[in-house]
Order: sequence, then structure tokens, then C-alpha cells
Amino acid sequence: MDKNKPGLFKLVEGLKPVDASALEEYEREMTDEAIPEIIKDVEKRRMLAAESRQRRLETPTTDKPETPTTDEPEQSK
Amino acid sequence: MYTWMTLASAADLSQLDHHIDAEYTPKSVAKKLAVGLSDAVKGILIERNYIDKDYRSTYYNFYAKKGRQYRSDCVRLHFFDETVSFDDSALKLSAKDGHLSDHYFGFMVLRPTGVATIGRSVVTPDVRRGASRFIITADHKVHVLGHTLKIHGFPSMDQHIDIAVCAHATCWSILRHYSERYSIYREYHTHDITMLAQQFDPGGFVPARGLALSQAERVFQEAGTYPVIVARDIANLKDFSFYRQLTAYVDSGFPLFAAMHNKGHAMAVVGYDWRTPLNTGLPGMRYSWDEIKTLAVVDDNHLPYLSIPADGGHYSAKDIDSFIVALPEKVFYPADAFDTLVPKLFKLGKVVQLPPQDKAIIRYFITTGSAFRRFVRSHESEFDPQLLAAVMKLPFAQFLWIVEIATESQWAINQISARAVIDATASLTEHYPYWILHGRKEALIFGRESVDLDLQNGMGVLTMADTGHFGFSRMDTNLRPTRTK
Repeated sequence: MDKNKPGLFKLVEGLKPVDASALEEYEREMTDEAIPEIIKDVEKRRMLAAESRQRRLETPTTDKPETPTTDEPEQSK
Repeated sequence: MYTWMTLASAADLSQLDHHIDAEYTPKSVAKKLAVGLSDAVKGILIERNYIDKDYRSTYYNFYAKKGRQYRSDCVRLHFFDETVSFDDSALKLSAKDGHLSDHYFGFMVLRPTGVATIGRSVVTPDVRRGASRFIITADHKVHVLGHTLKIHGFPSMDQHIDIAVCAHATCWSILRHYSERYSIYREYHTHDITMLAQQFDPGGFVPARGLALSQAERVFQEAGTYPVIVARDIANLKDFSFYRQLTAYVDSGFPLFAAMHNKGHAMAVVGYDWRTPLNTGLPGMRYSWDEIKTLAVVDDNHLPYLSIPADGGHYSAKDIDSFIVALPEKVFYPADAFDTLVPKLFKLGKVVQLPPQDKAIIRYFITTGSAFRRFVRSHESEFDPQLLAAVMKLPFAQFLWIVEIATESQWAINQISARAVIDATASLTEHYPYWILHGRKEALIFGRESVDLDLQNGMGVLTMADTGHFGFSRMDTNLRPTRTK
């Protein structure tokens, strides 16, 4: 911590310290459940992204009409 | 070179066929416009011999090399309301109130390619039939006949089919939006996009064989953004986290490159509309995705801002199985975290009074520190002066995640009970990635001056004066509300 910085309580007037006991349940659940779960979720989503990378977005050009044939726009890819 | 067309009704659009050569397919264009544009469009200025930078990029690199001869010039259509007139002899546009830009709805370039001729276009969502309520837009400058006009819209074009497909058109749309919206990004033309996707010049028809998602990712990387691919778990029909993330990024003002692999199709997601608020009274936390009625997409098969339902029908958001969000560099805390983090936030309810978790509607999105401060300043009567001072003084990093917590009745009137302001540069392993968590009576303020958070000196609680309101305003500043005309 930079000792020359004013600190939170000087920066923001009217602040009071938080009762540490009010944070215990939050801290325990973050440590035991949330943070491991978040890391797992991020890794799982990264794996899904890796699988999706090689999927192609295309159809053969021969399937496409030379000119539009109906009032509805053609389904080009 | 310039022709003015007055429209009494959409049927008059068929006149385009009399004024524009066949290689621009005016009949087909007129049919699309008649279906997609509102009756507020009462005048069209046809500008011939227009040199379009995007068409020229493909002309120089492809069409000019063909045996069949293609023209090098385009036609540009400009759309106006009923108060605008054109003096043919003086070549002058006039609006009754003198403010031409206020009566301008945008432009559409037509390419001389005989098929899929709609090129670079920027049209306001205000005149698009059925457009969603919130759309990502940028200001685009348009120069015509010595006038400089301004239009708020999202760029769109048809794919070229033979040298570019939907995925190229979608990358182009998003990157053109970025170059207009953010000064740090340069402009890329249609052919540039084709080149960015490959490690070598693909030449000829190769680009028409389509793109893999990794190539679209490469386009965004090469363009200087930091793309993140988010893919749905295909085996899990209840992968709601995917759609919550999709909603969060769109709500942050980032257009998404969305892929529908079952259709082999790509398009940009650029907005949304809420469903009519429901007073269900049912228990269970909901997310903003649950309140989405439609997504607005820029799909090269249609005029821009097509509304597709969140679910149901042959074409809906449920067809999207992956998307790319082209983020700025300094967004490290991922959207993946919020499904787990948000329920834990309610454990801080012992310090900051929050609504009951099972009756809360959660919305989360990214904004900048300066945009958040601007929002607070413009709603300062809602905030306790000490909280307002904290917002102004805390040394925010450039980007913030905002989590808004509302009850069902507050959601219906665009209000919230509480808000968490989260450091977008926070690490995944932080217990307190917050700057602020505030309700109506208390606010927790976090100092982030030290890596090792000191609970006694690095965090404090403010007890706030009663500002006499029922809830805070929802922060709806990233997307432009559509003003239907």
C-alpha cells in the first residue's frame, strides 16, 4: 500500500468501519463455494469456446440464387 | 446525377425501377424497402455515380479482374421525411425548419453487381418497421450536396455472396460501428475483412466458402479488439448462463457476432426489447434475459434491426449457439462469474439492506467509470451527497461492471433497489471485486489501494440520508431508445 495515499476513510467522509462478524458468512461462502465455482465455470466455458472455433458458417455457393426470386429475401449464408 | 422521388405511400417505391439501372436490382430493393421502412419516409434523393469506398475495395480486388464488366460506381439513396424538399435546378435540399439532419433517416448504397446489391447502409432504427426499443448506434456523418448530415444508426450491408458471406458482412458491420463510435479503432473496408480472416490472400472465390468461428475471431483480433468467444453447451438445454451473458454484453453496448451453426448463419445482435413487465409474485430470482422479448439483429438477409423473438418460431435467439464479443483490452472480470457471484452478494445484506433474493430481478452490464459518473451526476437528487462524493472520488479503472437489483414492481417502472459497482479489472479469485455496493439506506465503499484488503481500513459503510424516493433510476445509457416514426 502506498503510504502517501490518503486512505479510504480520508477520501470518503462519513465512513464507519464494518463489523467483521457481518462479513463472515459472505467470506466463508466465497472461499468455499463461489470462487472455486467461478473458476470451474470459466474453464468449462473456455472448453466450449474451443470446440466451437472450428465450426463453419457457410453453405455452398451453388445453393444461392443468381437473382432474388421472391418477395421474401433469400436465405443466404 | 440527382433525382428526387416523393413517396405518397410505400407503393411509390416501385418508381425506383424507372430511375435506377437494372444492375442495381431496383425492383428487389424497392420490395425490401416497402416491407421494411415505415411510412415516415416521404422523400428519397437518388444520388448516381456515387463512389463507395467499400464497393471500390471489392471492385479493385475482384470485380475488375473478371471478364464480365462491372461498373465502378454505385447509387446512393437518401431517406427524408415530408418536411424536406429538393430544388432540382439549384441542387439544394431544404427542410422547413432549417435543420436538415433532424429530418434525415439515413442512406443506402446500391452496388452494380446484379445480385445482393444493397451495400453500405446506415438507416435510423426510427423508421424500421418493428424495430426493438433499444439499439446500439453511433453517429455517422454523411456528406451530400454540400450538406453535412448526421445519422444515428448501425451499419449494414448484404453479403456479396461470391467473395464474402454473412460472416464477413457481420464482421464488417461491427468493425464499422467501432470505427465510428470509438476513435481508437480504424476503418476497415469489405476486402480488408476478407484479408484479415486469413493468414494469406485467399483470392478468387475462396472467401465464399465461408468462415470458421476462429477466423471471425481472428478478424476482431487483427482489428485491435480483444474478442471473447462464448459458446452454448449444446447438450444442456438449460444453459441460461449463455443467454444471460449475451444479454449482459448487448446491454453494455457491444454488438455481438452471433453464430447459428444449425443454419450455418451469422449476424450481429445490436439491441433488444423488454417484454411487458409481469407482476407474477412468484418466488425465484430472475435475470434481465428472462425479461427480454426480442433481440434486434443486423442480418444480411433482411433490412437492419430485424426483431427476432427470444424463443419460439423458426428464427429466434434460441438458434444462437455461440457469439463473439469484441471487448476493449481492460475487461478482465468475465461475465461467467455473475451467475455465482450475484447470489453471494445477498450475504452482504447484513450490512447493506437489499430486497429479498427470491424476489429480485438482476441486470448486469459493463460501462465506463466516466459514463457511470455522468449518470450519477444527471440523477444527483437520487443520491445521498456522501455517496455521490464517493462515486466522484474513487479511482475507478476505465471499465466497470454494474449489477442492478430490482423488485418486480420496481422493474416495471425502470427503477432499482440496489446497485453493485464492480471493478472490471478485478481478478476471478478476489473476495471483494467491488468499488461500491449501495442500497437506499446504506452503502459499502471499498478501497482498492492495496492488493491485501484490510477489512478495518479498506472498507467502510455509509449510513445515508433518506432521499425520499422509492428506488433509484435504472441506468439505461448504453443503447439508444428507438423513437418510432
